[in-house]
Amino acid sequence: MATSAPAPGTRIVDREEIRSKLLSLVASYLEQPVTDIQSDVKLVEYGLDSIFALTLCGDVEDEYGIEVKSTLAWDHPTVDAITDHLYDTLTAEA
Amino acid sequence: MTVIDPSPRQAERLGPLDELDTPEPLEALFGDPADPGNPVGHQAFVDADERGDFLPAGRKTLESFGIGAEFVPRALGGRLGQADDLARVLRTVFRHDGALALGLGAINLIASSTVWAAGDAGQRRWLASVLLDNHPTAGAITELAHGDDLSRTRLRATEREGGVVLDGRKEVINNVARAHAVTVLARTSEEPGSRSHTLFLVDPAAVPRERMRFLPRYRTSGMRGTHLGGVEFLDCPLPASAAVGGYGDAMETILRCFQVTKSVASGAALGMVDTMLRTVVDFGTQRRLYGRSVTELPYVEAELADVFTDLLICDAMTTTACRALHVLPRQTSVYAAATKYLVPEIEQHAADRLALVLGARSFLREGPHAAFQKHFRDLPVAALAHSGATVCLATIIPQLPRLARRSWFTSSAPEPALFQLGRPLPDLDFGQLEANAGPDDQIVATLLDVGQDRVTDPTLRTLCGRLVDELRILRDGWRALAPRNRTPFAGPVGFELAERYAVVLAASACLGVWWHNQDHPNPFMRDTAWVVSALDRLTVRLGHEPLPQAQSATRQVFAELLSRHAEHRAFDLIGRRLH
Ligand SMILES: Cc1cc2nc3c(=O)[nH]c(=O)nc-3n(C[C@H](O)[C@H](O)[C@H](O)COP(=O)(O)OP(=O)(O)OC[C@H]3O[C@@H](n4cnc5c(N)ncnc54)[C@H](O)[C@@H]3O)c2cc1C
Repeated sequence: MATSAPAPGTRIVDREEIRSKLLSLVASYLEQPVTDIQSDVKLVEYGLDSIFALTLCGDVEDEYGIEVKSTLAWDHPTVDAITDHLYDTLTAEA
Repeated sequence: MTVIDPSPRQAERLGPLDELDTPEPLEALFGDPADPGNPVGHQAFVDADERGDFLPAGRKTLESFGIGAEFVPRALGGRLGQADDLARVLRTVFRHDGALALGLGAINLIASSTVWAAGDAGQRRWLASVLLDNHPTAGAITELAHGDDLSRTRLRATEREGGVVLDGRKEVINNVARAHAVTVLARTSEEPGSRSHTLFLVDPAAVPRERMRFLPRYRTSGMRGTHLGGVEFLDCPLPASAAVGGYGDAMETILRCFQVTKSVASGAALGMVDTMLRTVVDFGTQRRLYGRSVTELPYVEAELADVFTDLLICDAMTTTACRALHVLPRQTSVYAAATKYLVPEIEQHAADRLALVLGARSFLREGPHAAFQKHFRDLPVAALAHSGATVCLATIIPQLPRLARRSWFTSSAPEPALFQLGRPLPDLDFGQLEANAGPDDQIVATLLDVGQDRVTDPTLRTLCGRLVDELRILRDGWRALAPRNRTPFAGPVGFELAERYAVVLAASACLGVWWHNQDHPNPFMRDTAWVVSALDRLTVRLGHEPLPQAQSATRQVFAELLSRHAEHRAFDLIGRRLH
């Protein structure tokens, strides 16, 4: 499968970059300023429940060129939790 | 517990394209529905509908066929292997009676698929034995207060003293008061979100009687024979072993399994429109107006040909969705929902036009055409009973932007086996299905592979060109869509793009089925007329004018309709004799 992301190993993984990327993704879904989104608040509290997880999973896969479980946002329900999970996945790959 | 006797149940099915003059075994048991003396003919089902009950002789017919085995995987002693085979068996039942087909048929798949997907060996064996004995089962998934929003489920399961206690109610559940096995969706954590639910497999005979109460039956406008009931659990104890899969897994299991149930149910329900069309052709060929039969009036001819074409479109789409569960299991989250949206839409529109042709008789609850009004009332109920149109569109909206970005005009065509009706596929493997689709829409890739690169017929090329243009518009539309429109708060624009995608998907399925079945025993299915008509109708749905060149195809389709009607053949991709 073709992907535009850089090959693993060439990337420097930065936890804060992941977090801010995710925050702006969530803000864009909600059409709210990114400053309104808190990384430790559950995404369901923002009204982003089951089906939304599917959107986020696809966007994350495309952004980072990795495969994540479709239930990513169910198992890691806040931006902080997803950040940690992605950080671990990406550093393990790097 | 039943001793599983593999010999008759494992009997080989007739291949879908083999011996098309031989009726399916179940169809043969139903016999000629128009025969007024047939205890399972139309008249008997209309009478049962008037009484608001299942027809006992119909139930016996299904039992003597061993309907329960159809839902049990072959590895567990049943006959469930291929989803499209199951859809065709249920289609036969829908041809005769919707209430029977839903209540003693399709509902078993909704009840059991989660157990095949996530249950342990003991649960699977037990449920297999219930079904192999032809006992009814029920799936208590939705709650009246929350509809399709399953994550809001209230019925609570609490771990207590080494077991589990259920507390709460489910309403509008098929056959729940008669079921010998019930799968129940329960909340197992107060946390909001999608990891707070668990499925339980309940043996109603094994729970304390006073802890499980059945609620009064709901009466319905269509499917009047179905027993829609409710159930209330009052601190009802269950063994810990009743949990199906892990705690918190239910939503994921359901998202995967409902791809199977949606695809199969859509393919099955076509049987009702088959009967409606047959009834109207019966009427039209017999009734004379203005010195000729009604079917000789050009307007009626075109209407009936269009409905037959619609049935072929729906069969191509549902059969492809069913086979994709085997061939492209990572993609079917989108295919199943798009199919469950579009097929009932097409069917309802077809039924409305048939009612106009049948005229006054479409309302009569007695007489030779009375089966029509029953099917006409049953059809919309069947369409809603398992995920309505809007909810299906809402399922695919979040997934389509990614297909637009990553797959359309990029993915390669699927293996031909996806479309080859006679080609056996490996047995259904629930473990392969994914909650959301990967970025590899191979069915739509068929539009480019066949429609752009292989087709030579000029009319067909024109139609395919329109569809390829549409795919381009869709790709740009989805890419430009504001992120909010890909979430549960999507506005109408997302819904419209999703509807248009479903039409392109249906057209791709028609092309794939046509191109890859050039060994079909019926020359009509090898010829271009049906696929030209199908694509013409689908592009009209997208807002195009009908293509004048497609009119001669319509006449060929009509001639085939009349000959199938005269020979009692099914109005589907196969065209097998019915009796
Ligand atoms: C004959 C019959 C048999 C049934 N048998 C069973 C059974 O055996 N077991 C069982 O568990 N259930 C059963 N049901 C219940 C059935 O599954 C529900 O009726 C179905 O899930 C739809 O729920 P609802 O009509 O309450 O719609 P709701 O979910 O309340 O939705 C109402 C409307 O809101 C809109 N809507 C909903 N979601 C969205 C969204 N995401 N985006 C935009 N719009 C939306 C739609 O227009 C929808 O029609 C049965 C129903 C019928 C009619």
